[in-house]
Amino acid sequence: MVKFTAEELRRIMDYKHNIRNMSVIAHVDHGKSTLTDSLVAAAGIIAQEVAGDVRMTDTRADEAERGITIKSTGISLYYEMTDAALKSYTGERNGNEYLINLIDSPGHVDFSSEVTAALRITDGALVVVDCIEGVCVQTETVLRQALGERIRPVLTVNKMDRCFLELQVDGEEAYQTFQRVIENANVIMATYEDPLLGDVQVYPEKGTVAFSAGLHGWAFTLTNFAKMYASKFGVDESKMMERLWGENYFDPATKKWTSKNTGSATCKRGFVQFCYEPIKQIINTCMNDQKDKLWPMLTKLGVTMKSDEKDLMGKALMKRVMQTWLPASSALLEMMIFHLPSPSTAQRYRVENLYEGPLDDQYANAIRNCDPEGPLMLYVSKMIPASDKGRFFAFGRVFAGKVQTGLKVRIMGPNYVPGEKKDLYVKNVQRTVIWMGKKQETVEDVPCGNTVALVGLDQFITKNATLTNEKEVDAHPIRAMKFSVSPVVRVAVQCKVASDLPKLVEGLKRLAKSDPMVVCSIEESGEHIIAGAGELHLEICLKDLQDDFMGGAEIIKSDPVVSFRETVLEKSSRTVMSKSPNKHNRLYMEARPLEEGLPEAIDDGRIGPRDDPKIRSKILAEEFGWDKDLAKKIWCFGPETTGPNMVVDMCKGVQYLNEIKDSVVAGFQWASKEGALAEENMRGICFEVCDVVLHADAIHRGGGQVIPTARRVIYASQITAKPRLLEPVYLVEIQAPEQALGGIYSVLNQKRGHVFEEIQRPGTPLYNIKAYLPVIESFGFSGQLRASTSGQAFPQCVFDHWEMMSSDPLEVGSQAAQLVTDIRKRKGLKEQMTPLSEFEDKL
Amino acid sequence: MPMVKGDVCTEDVGTCGDDCSSRCASAHPGAQAACVLNSNIPVCRCYFDCGPSVPPPYSKTCKLSLGIWGERCSEEDCNSQCAAKYPGPQQGMGYCYSVGAPVYTSCFCEYKKNLFPLSSFTVIHSAMDLESNYEIAPTAEFIQSNKFTRVALQFPDELLKDAVRVVSALRDKLRTLRESNAEQNDDAPEVGLFVMADTAYGSCCVDEVGASHVDADAVVHYGHTCLSPTTTLPAFFVFGKTPISVPDCVKNLSHYALPNGRRVLVLFGLDYAHSIQNIREKFAEVCGAESKPEVQYANVICSVMNPSKGRKISNEVQGTSGSLTDNNSFGTVSANTYSIGGLVWKLPEGHKMDDYLLFWIGSNNSAFANIVLTYNGCEIVRYDASECSMVTDLSQQRKILKRRYYLMEKAKDANIVGILVGTLGVAGYLNMIHQMKVLITGAGKKVYTLVMGRPNPAKLANFPECDIFIYVSCAQTALLDSKEYLAPVITPFEAMLAFNRGCQWTGEYVMEFRDLINSSPVESRNFSEEARFSFLQGGYVEDFDPQGRNGTEEDKEGALALANATEKVLQLRDNPNSIVKGTAKSGAEFLATRSYQGLDIHYDGSLPEPYFIGRSGRAAGYEDEKIGHEKS
Repeated sequence: MVKFTAEELRRIMDYKHNIRNMSVIAHVDHGKSTLTDSLVAAAGIIAQEVAGDVRMTDTRADEAERGITIKSTGISLYYEMTDAALKSYTGERNGNEYLINLIDSPGHVDFSSEVTAALRITDGALVVVDCIEGVCVQTETVLRQALGERIRPVLTVNKMDRCFLELQVDGEEAYQTFQRVIENANVIMATYEDPLLGDVQVYPEKGTVAFSAGLHGWAFTLTNFAKMYASKFGVDESKMMERLWGENYFDPATKKWTSKNTGSATCKRGFVQFCYEPIKQIINTCMNDQKDKLWPMLTKLGVTMKSDEKDLMGKALMKRVMQTWLPASSALLEMMIFHLPSPSTAQRYRVENLYEGPLDDQYANAIRNCDPEGPLMLYVSKMIPASDKGRFFAFGRVFAGKVQTGLKVRIMGPNYVPGEKKDLYVKNVQRTVIWMGKKQETVEDVPCGNTVALVGLDQFITKNATLTNEKEVDAHPIRAMKFSVSPVVRVAVQCKVASDLPKLVEGLKRLAKSDPMVVCSIEESGEHIIAGAGELHLEICLKDLQDDFMGGAEIIKSDPVVSFRETVLEKSSRTVMSKSPNKHNRLYMEARPLEEGLPEAIDDGRIGPRDDPKIRSKILAEEFGWDKDLAKKIWCFGPETTGPNMVVDMCKGVQYLNEIKDSVVAGFQWASKEGALAEENMRGICFEVCDVVLHADAIHRGGGQVIPTARRVIYASQITAKPRLLEPVYLVEIQAPEQALGGIYSVLNQKRGHVFEEIQRPGTPLYNIKAYLPVIESFGFSGQLRASTSGQAFPQCVFDHWEMMSSDPLEVGSQAAQLVTDIRKRKGLKEQMTPLSEFEDKL
Repeated sequence: MPMVKGDVCTEDVGTCGDDCSSRCASAHPGAQAACVLNSNIPVCRCYFDCGPSVPPPYSKTCKLSLGIWGERCSEEDCNSQCAAKYPGPQQGMGYCYSVGAPVYTSCFCEYKKNLFPLSSFTVIHSAMDLESNYEIAPTAEFIQSNKFTRVALQFPDELLKDAVRVVSALRDKLRTLRESNAEQNDDAPEVGLFVMADTAYGSCCVDEVGASHVDADAVVHYGHTCLSPTTTLPAFFVFGKTPISVPDCVKNLSHYALPNGRRVLVLFGLDYAHSIQNIREKFAEVCGAESKPEVQYANVICSVMNPSKGRKISNEVQGTSGSLTDNNSFGTVSANTYSIGGLVWKLPEGHKMDDYLLFWIGSNNSAFANIVLTYNGCEIVRYDASECSMVTDLSQQRKILKRRYYLMEKAKDANIVGILVGTLGVAGYLNMIHQMKVLITGAGKKVYTLVMGRPNPAKLANFPECDIFIYVSCAQTALLDSKEYLAPVITPFEAMLAFNRGCQWTGEYVMEFRDLINSSPVESRNFSEEARFSFLQGGYVEDFDPQGRNGTEEDKEGALALANATEKVLQLRDNPNSIVKGTAKSGAEFLATRSYQGLDIHYDGSLPEPYFIGRSGRAAGYEDEKIGHEKS
């Protein structure tokens, strides 16, 4: 029984203070989807009884089957709060009705792009942490992402039921565990603090931490108990809150609060005395079916059970009792409404992060004030496959103005440059849709501060876009999302039947749309490549491609392919020279490796072609020890003009040099994209133009003569500078009990990985292991790990850095030489590398 | 020790004397003797034909990796695969090779390679061979019967060395013919023969422009040809005759045709055309009467081309294609008749090309590459006549197809397109260029036409603004592997797929652009509203408004173009490193983004100085000075 209608939902959308946009984020398997269920149940979309088992937001068959969330799923929920509950709420509000736009996100690291997409369109995040496992790798990653987007977090310590039923820990021990979990989370939040966002740490005594048992559908914040006891003890509610956490002890025998444990047997910590013990008691009574004891207790707590529920036994009874006593939804909702910002609050400080244009134009102001009458600013953060095959909803958030059915909008794609026509379309919105559980409802319009799905724009948006009104030609787009993972694992696909090619092309197009991270491209050799963040990600993508986007047409996939980079180890052994085809021009060049950290600085965009040369030379001189004048002589970066290689002019007094600069740059862009070893991209090489001899007539030193020569001399200098291959390396984080360590080490050794950190998690038998693992070895790694640790270890791999392979690719029979041969073969090149004599000329 | 220079060898046999010629004759039968001075000592030197020195075949050892086999590599499998790949005299031998981790194990194959495969024309020992190889008699007949007076003989570079001998043989033949005809027509003039070499475009096409320089009224083309139709001049083609072991070829053919009753189509390189009849008969013998394997043979379309009178088919090599009528001469248009690269064949009613196994006799040249690309749905095997072996692994050729597909995708992202005129002879090339221009402008891209003879990387790199080139040429030179080129070079067919919105490649491939002209590209245009998805950039890229710009807007754009370009220059001056290939929309815009703009004209904005009258007179004393002198 759905307790609300589309009309009701639409009505609250206008009350921008009564909206909360929030995402649920956590490490894999900490119970996000399960907890979300209880919120959905409270809105009446699913029955209370099944909440926790349905995993409502796992809509896909494979999600249910694997028990993990793959896609982030949005759902709009409507709640009506009681006056009593809102009594102490001091912020602005319009009535008691609230709209929660909730997005459940996946926890597996391979899908963290989905989390990024979810965070962009929400203002708050519910961070779920397993009370036993504590803060894990992915918890940290998503928290960092959230704070980077200026998302305010609240925490819930989940799986409380394990404490009571499975582990049976006593109160003090449990408190210590919770305290540690909260502390760990706070450490991360403090690290990424943002002055505009203010203090983002969470405190149980302030009500920003909840304790929940998603599976059983109950949860509480200290506010719940404080309220209860405040009336009983006759003390102030906020004072009571403070006493329920931290170093506050109560001795029922003396009825006194102390700030230290007095040592008497009855003296217990406030939290244990007043929160933990009562719950424990109730649960034990229920589990032991001591109904005669139970009913009086419940009456005392003011909990009334329905008559048919009284017949329940054991676990079912416990679940029902707890749900009635401490319903998860009300505790969590209260926490969200009280402590997460409304769009109008959040956009005030988020606008700087969001808007690319000047922060004082009308668009920035409209976003800042969350102005429904302002110009439309809408960010589409992901595309959701619709039920009719091949179409997509564009899912996003209205930051300013209103979007309505039939509106003509300007679509600014990721490559849009203000003032140009590139990547810009003007189209009609066919329908505006809001998500209500499993079904979608069409509404006339959606005002700012809300999430929305749009129909009819999918043929112009690949992954994300900024939408504005047709007339707003001077609006800048909203900043593109930054992902924490990169697509390093690639597989080539082809169709089994050649004539299915159009189907494959169409399917890849759709796949590229359906996932924020996947990249569908085409190789030089004509193979279609799908690149994803990890093995699991690719597996899901391929499944989607074949089953959903290609109508079951069969595809053949290659073994996973890893792309390498080419670099050099030393400075060229000598200055190399190449002559132009007409032999009238000579280019002299040397290659040397870039200083450590410089390629990364270029990757991050700290140094790039668009910098102010002064700032650039300052960074280069101060951090990397460059000569100040030299830093001004950088001709270009490459490949694609932004890559981590460069050409530097070291010539002195050469005539016509500026005339061939463009040609040398063109040759460099070309050569740095396809290195001499295996036509992989170059990385971290600095090419120094040492000398140039040019023909006196301009016609004989044109592009035709210089471009191929520049390319050849770059190759020659690369080969003479001890070329090396760089391979991508994962950072692997594994959490496992001590007895599994042996297995982990042996698998890692076998896979050329090495452990660089091993820390025991305080208070648990679990170890945290961090290791580096070459991506090429990672295929089948998680399966092998599971096998050799009997399922106790679960790795999370994230691309970390490029590592140089020590073996020399020019030495016949070396590992690197073999790799080069194989890459060349795959690309359909001549198996033998082109010898130096082809590139270098003699005087 | 004989010295080898070309295929004429010399050997000195003692000092010069009267018996020089007899000494020579005894040493080398048929040799000619001469006395020459060798460091001022007269020696007797013999000249004799010896042909190129041929090292023993299969003397070079090659190594090839059969790919990563992972942990699966077993010596046995590896060896057997290698042996299958390099059978017979190539002595393929495989071994597993592992480096480091077990994943890197791969199978290596060692085999012997024949460095000197025989090719047509190479082994010409005597005048007899020359006569038959260069088809002197039919050529003379062709010239005589058509009463040509000026005939150009077109030789490819590798046959140029025979040109003199061919001309003299041909001249002798013509003379004898004329003498025999003298009584009928005595005022027949001497036929002028001209040797043409180093053609500006591919040597497989008839160089009509070159021929018209000597005002020739016919061309005789020697060597490998694409048999592209000519526009103005009649042409006679001499394919050459490469030796082939007919029994071995038939044995291999029956291996494919006999066992499972597969339909086989025999195609061949034109230099093997002379022995097809022979193979046909031998194969029929081998099969016997009882089994009737379905083997079709292609025919050579013609060896004489006469553009003025339609296409005269007088096949002197085969003489079997008389059933062909003029109107289905070229193109795969008519129902069951197919034609490619000078070969033509007809399939029985109801048969499709995909049902056939193609059996190619000949070397791995561009003609074969065309077959593989065009009939990429068929199973194709190649009989290499020079090595007497079957080649069944055509993965390399298949890779070409994929590579072309990539180039097509790349072309879609291009903004500026260069059309390379690669032929001035093949009929319909002007139409093709025009059609390409219409197509490209229709797709909202800028087009430039370039004429530069045979393209090479240096020539094309002079046009760095072009993102892609379309090479309009005959079918067999059209495929340029543009790896070495700054911008890829594609064929008109590929351009049509790339620049036609909504066109999807289903695997068919058309090489000859005459076939393309027939297929009207307009009907395949069904505009979907969708923006174009670029696989190179992994997202939607719109380069063109599918609704079509209306005229006024275009005019406006034209007027604004200059202003826009100027504005861009001003913007881009700030960051000199901004040339990203493929961002400029026209050549002018590209040049505007260059950092080097030509010599600086120091212009300080002031008006030109007003002129003033200088001194006059001579240096000895200017007029104004004179006055002074006089005064003093």
